[in-house]
Amino acid sequence: MPALITASAVRTCFGTGADTFAALLAGRTGAGPLRDGGPGVPGVTTGYHLVDGGGSAFKASRLLTDVVAEAVRSAGLDPARERIAVLVGSGLGELSAVERWAVDGTDVPPRALDFEAAVRAALPGAAEVTTLSGACSAGGHALALAQDLVELGAADAVVAAAADTATRSMLAMIGRVSPVPASAVRPFDAGREGVLLGEGAAAVVVVPERRPSGRRPARPLARLLATGLSCDAAHPTAPDVAGIGRAMRDAFDRAGRRFAEVGLVVAHGTGTALNDPAECRALRDLGCAPLVTAVKGAVGHTSGAAALVNLDVAVRCLEEGAVPPVVGLRTVLDEGADVRFVQDGPAALPSGLVQLNAFGFGGVNAVTLLEAPS
Amino acid sequence: MNVAITGWSLHLPGVRPTDALAACLGTPPGAWARADAVPADRAADVLGRKGLLGMEPAARLALCAVHRALDLPPKHRPDGPADPSAAVVACGDLGNAEAVARVARAVATEGAAAVSILDAPNVSGNVVAATVAIRFRLGGPNLMVSSGPGSGAHGLRLALTLLRARRADRVVLVGAEPGDEVATALHAAGDPASPLAAGAACVVLEAVPETAPPDGARLELCDPGGGDAVAIGPGGFDTAAEWGDHHGAETVVGLALAAHLVADEGACAADVHGAARVRRAR
Repeated sequence: MPALITASAVRTCFGTGADTFAALLAGRTGAGPLRDGGPGVPGVTTGYHLVDGGGSAFKASRLLTDVVAEAVRSAGLDPARERIAVLVGSGLGELSAVERWAVDGTDVPPRALDFEAAVRAALPGAAEVTTLSGACSAGGHALALAQDLVELGAADAVVAAAADTATRSMLAMIGRVSPVPASAVRPFDAGREGVLLGEGAAAVVVVPERRPSGRRPARPLARLLATGLSCDAAHPTAPDVAGIGRAMRDAFDRAGRRFAEVGLVVAHGTGTALNDPAECRALRDLGCAPLVTAVKGAVGHTSGAAALVNLDVAVRCLEEGAVPPVVGLRTVLDEGADVRFVQDGPAALPSGLVQLNAFGFGGVNAVTLLEAPS
Repeated sequence: MNVAITGWSLHLPGVRPTDALAACLGTPPGAWARADAVPADRAADVLGRKGLLGMEPAARLALCAVHRALDLPPKHRPDGPADPSAAVVACGDLGNAEAVARVARAVATEGAAAVSILDAPNVSGNVVAATVAIRFRLGGPNLMVSSGPGSGAHGLRLALTLLRARRADRVVLVGAEPGDEVATALHAAGDPASPLAAGAACVVLEAVPETAPPDGARLELCDPGGGDAVAIGPGGFDTAAEWGDHHGAETVVGLALAAHLVADEGACAADVHGAARVRRAR
């Protein structure tokens, strides 16, 4: 049963969702010198930082509070009249607080590692706040479960949210596998250099399409058809084409739709040696040729927030009828030779469904299908 | 749809459930409660040696608990294709904190050469859930719930959601926390009533159609309330006070204990933290 997206709020290195979409259409990149993780993180010199006037401590929580407040306000949610559950996905959570404690001895306040307090700062009346550690597809998993909860009648509305900033330990792992420090994320490029982290947060409001009161939101942003989930159960860090394919097929099965109906894919596209060929093969296995774009060349890899950043971009594509190009893509990798990437400048949005891909460490995959509201 | 509990285990190193249960509940614990729970550094006794290199203690404990809940022979490692109908919901807050602290300290003091690539999965918060899926070939949805002390209760609700939304026919619900210096310090900052204890527990939940014939041997999960039931949690048999605080795993510890009491010790029903009841199917 489809649900509706009634609000979407985003923060990336470019600012709000509108700022981000404008930058994407203009082909800009937010890459800059690495901050916060600082000198001393070997092998990484570049990041996609969000400057908000605050410090680096508990920045993910701060960004999360901002986007949840904006989404709740925009959707007109009222916790006094509605049961509102909140699901927060994150790849790295507030583990940077553990790092500060380990290196500098800075105290970690109680309950600072999960996001309940950050959400309640924006939505004190939330019925329940659950934090999911879901690697780079955490936001997609939150979205899947949000739709389940409203479909099952367990909540009147669900805020699916996500937030991530960098940790030194993850930057160290990125540096460890990079022969030379990457200068930018270049999704699906033959000369891609690897992944870099972006700071970001996002929140969307999911409500049932048929609300018990018969009340329909004044202006839904999109119909949320389904999110397919799978776990590769294959490798701790490397992607698996079969596992990715299962998530895609699960999405189509749950939505009762076919891949031939997809007009646009907003890909995961991390610019790593392994993800991009695997994602191309999984798309080709489904057998047709929608347009494909990806945003990480512009905003970096926002980890757990990536799926919901993709959703916000998709909603704006539906609103404006334009698809931004893959920033950083110059020469398409061999495995993507017959994939229709949007390059050089914006393209007109084709008709049909929009598919969003998100894959993470541990082989956790989430594939979402959206369409324009009727 | 009804929900059956088809497997369960407690894997709490250093805890003797027999003693505590006999003293507090007056029931003679069955053989299950006397099984030896090896600590994380002896996980190979249960799992075999292969695949444990570089694995965090919480993940090792989780694997031991799942191995026992699935009733696998010692050191047996499942193979074959991943089962897409089997999901994992892992609950825990502190499972990779020591790895993150260790890598951050290494970067700060020794530089790149001191960082091991074996720690790459360990610096991601979902390492326990993913490790369980890989080991036991569980290809359905894979969730890691890290909601502080409420992780287990939230994990139970999401496990039931996965079954009701037909995302899985079977959910391996596992809770695990380590007992290392970093986890202990972070836990203590919250001024808990009981100190952190390393351990894991698992229950296997399966969807049963409401049209399924009655089976009195089957355990099922339902809402608490009414009738005669053993209470597990504060106000009843408080597992945290008796065995140490397993923090994000505590609700799963309670569920596994409840399953044991009903299946093997003659209890009519057991209520876990006021959130769920385990009873025999009617």
